[in-house]
Amino acid sequence: MTMAQMPVRPTEPAPPVPAAHRRGRVARRRRREDIAGYVFLSPWLLGLLGITAIPMLISLYLSFTDYSPLIPVTESNWIGLDNYRRMFTADPQYWHAVRVTVTFALIAVPLKLAAALGVALLLNKAMRGISAFRGLFYLPSLLGGSVALAIVWRSMFNGDGAFNSFLSIFGIEGKAWVNDPTWALPTLMLLAIWQFGAPMVIFLAGLKQVPIELYEAASVDGASAWRKFAHITLPMLSPVIFFNLVLETIHGFQGFTSAFVLSNGTGGPVDTTLMYTLRLYNAGFVELNMGYASAMAWVFLLVVGTITVVLFSTGRFWVHYSDSEER
Amino acid sequence: MHPITRSATPDQPTPAPHRTRRRLLAAALALPLILGAAACGDDSSDGGSSSDKVELSIFWWGADKRAELTDKALALYTTKHPNVTFKKTWQANQGYFDKLATLTAGGNAPDVFQIDDNFIAEYAQRGVTLDLTPYTSDGKLDVTKFPKSLKEYGEVDGKLAGVAMGENTQGLVYDKTLLDKFKLPAPTTGMSWEDFVAWAANVSKVAKVPGTQDPSAVYQALWVYLRQNGKDLYKDNKIAFDEADIAKWFTLWKNARAAGATPTPDVIHEGNDSSVSKQLVVTGKAGTSWVWVNQMPELKKNTKSELGVIAYPGDPSAQWARASMYFSVFRGSPHKDAAVDVVNFLANDPEAGKILGTDRGLPPNLDVRKDVSATVTDPSMKQTIQVQDELGTKFGPTSPSVPPKGHSKVKTELVRIAEEVTFGRSTPEAGATAFVTAAKAAIGQS
Repeated sequence: MTMAQMPVRPTEPAPPVPAAHRRGRVARRRRREDIAGYVFLSPWLLGLLGITAIPMLISLYLSFTDYSPLIPVTESNWIGLDNYRRMFTADPQYWHAVRVTVTFALIAVPLKLAAALGVALLLNKAMRGISAFRGLFYLPSLLGGSVALAIVWRSMFNGDGAFNSFLSIFGIEGKAWVNDPTWALPTLMLLAIWQFGAPMVIFLAGLKQVPIELYEAASVDGASAWRKFAHITLPMLSPVIFFNLVLETIHGFQGFTSAFVLSNGTGGPVDTTLMYTLRLYNAGFVELNMGYASAMAWVFLLVVGTITVVLFSTGRFWVHYSDSEER
Repeated sequence: MHPITRSATPDQPTPAPHRTRRRLLAAALALPLILGAAACGDDSSDGGSSSDKVELSIFWWGADKRAELTDKALALYTTKHPNVTFKKTWQANQGYFDKLATLTAGGNAPDVFQIDDNFIAEYAQRGVTLDLTPYTSDGKLDVTKFPKSLKEYGEVDGKLAGVAMGENTQGLVYDKTLLDKFKLPAPTTGMSWEDFVAWAANVSKVAKVPGTQDPSAVYQALWVYLRQNGKDLYKDNKIAFDEADIAKWFTLWKNARAAGATPTPDVIHEGNDSSVSKQLVVTGKAGTSWVWVNQMPELKKNTKSELGVIAYPGDPSAQWARASMYFSVFRGSPHKDAAVDVVNFLANDPEAGKILGTDRGLPPNLDVRKDVSATVTDPSMKQTIQVQDELGTKFGPTSPSVPPKGHSKVKTELVRIAEEVTFGRSTPEAGATAFVTAAKAAIGQS
């Protein structure tokens, strides 16, 4: 959203004034109202500028320097594209983190959406106590990307955790899942997938919007449940799927908290959970190389931005808007 | 995104809103700069005189016990100097240095902060810490009662960057209760690495508890091992070992794992990843763990077992008296003299020394240390003192200098690469090559 779009203009017409004065007065009044508008906007505007825009621009500058948090910005040296060069050519851990993140997003995002859609379909039935179920399924997401949840996860999937106690009922001896290089990332994915509540609620709302007549008409024609799902539900739901896909993809790439907590901030074991954001954090706060971390952040922004744009451009081919007269 | 576009109707050629917008933008841009300038403008005044009211901020990491003891010692200082009060902040080790770096970046570093050899070189070379050398020559800071090596361990590029608050050395801690239960012999100081591995394998076999945590990722164990082989971790801000040394180290533990002396790799990782209170010897997942001797009370607090502690295997003269942690003074502090006086008090005052005990390590001042040894009541503190005193007689003549900038990265690289080998994803030789490369990169050695 740009500032040009902000609603700052009044709607009431100006009172009748002699034509000669009218222009100046109106302009002055508009100006006053503009100012009033900005004043009302200022909490948001200051937040945007102070917390997002200005720090972002500063970080862009810092990405061309060797800035460390221990020295004043003014004492850091301009090193041109060195940070970017190092990232792409001389930091194997960087590419490793990219691989981990892409793997995570490619697997966790579709599965999470599938889980969200599946549960939404189940919860879209009319039955007693359905709202209680809906609440129950949303619960994990209320806790969100919280640290507490990741700590619970960590202890659940530890060697002597609840999950292994459960497995032992069946005589299976589990391992310390979060401490095993093969299983640490899947454990992390499972945590992300389990928190499907937010897209589920959106799917549920989308499902309620599908006109019941379509299903009735299909039933009259003798369509099977699967055909109804594939030919009515999915196309009608495609804008919602698209929305969730974009949102969850961005989320997936940004995953930090759970990876940080599950690995004690290291991205271990042997870097198998070293998400991009975690590598970035460590570059900035452990290695105290904030310039390099800033460069990583900007590449990240550009890549995630590009992915979003690509998603949007594919939307044309598969997203179906039923209210197409407005488009 | 919203369909509200009234402000953009083309028949209103009013430049005014744009000007306002631009002016507002300028103001918004300037505001944080002004605030920032105001925040860092004042660092010249000095509340050194004894009657001015001074509030010093002080920041450390540690557990509850340390907070309790430090609180008491600082309260004692305030009793003696009523004009000085403290704004105390403390937290767990994890995240401490992130917070300290963030505070420093904002120009709000605490007047006095705890630091260790992971970061002291970095902070000193970046000019965050106050050079304390002048204070030692005019008597405001007394380090004359310190062991020489301990004082020198606080020097970076010839400047005193931190005052040691405790002395410790490597300690191999073992579960005595477990060994007694199975009538197994305790390990002894001076046994060779091979003998130790054989001992641990036997413990695994008899007690059905892995004999020892695999220390291949434990930097201080590698460090001792290197020194026993006539090498070192660093020398003159360069690494002082080669690939062959590391390959030998990794192979030693590969064989130990094959002999069943250690836990499985996932548990080894858990041990590497855990804080003091969750070391495998405490959680009962291994017979021994690789720690620092001053951590004994904290370890003891978390287990019912009786614990014993000895030197790391091999020749104990390769171990040294290390400053477990320091207090440093922020160079930008408005109350430098007062801050230095507090640090001096914590290090040298006999009463403060008795309060602090051995929580941060053996008291750095040898007179205070003697006092504390004579009066300490906590049994695990007693044990710490006794073991360290005994080891102290065995230390060799040379002790390493404080690790260079990038040391903490070297440590994390060792964990990563050693675990690659532990999990069988890399060979000892390939791991050695990778570690040498990574360590050089971390400390900026070309």
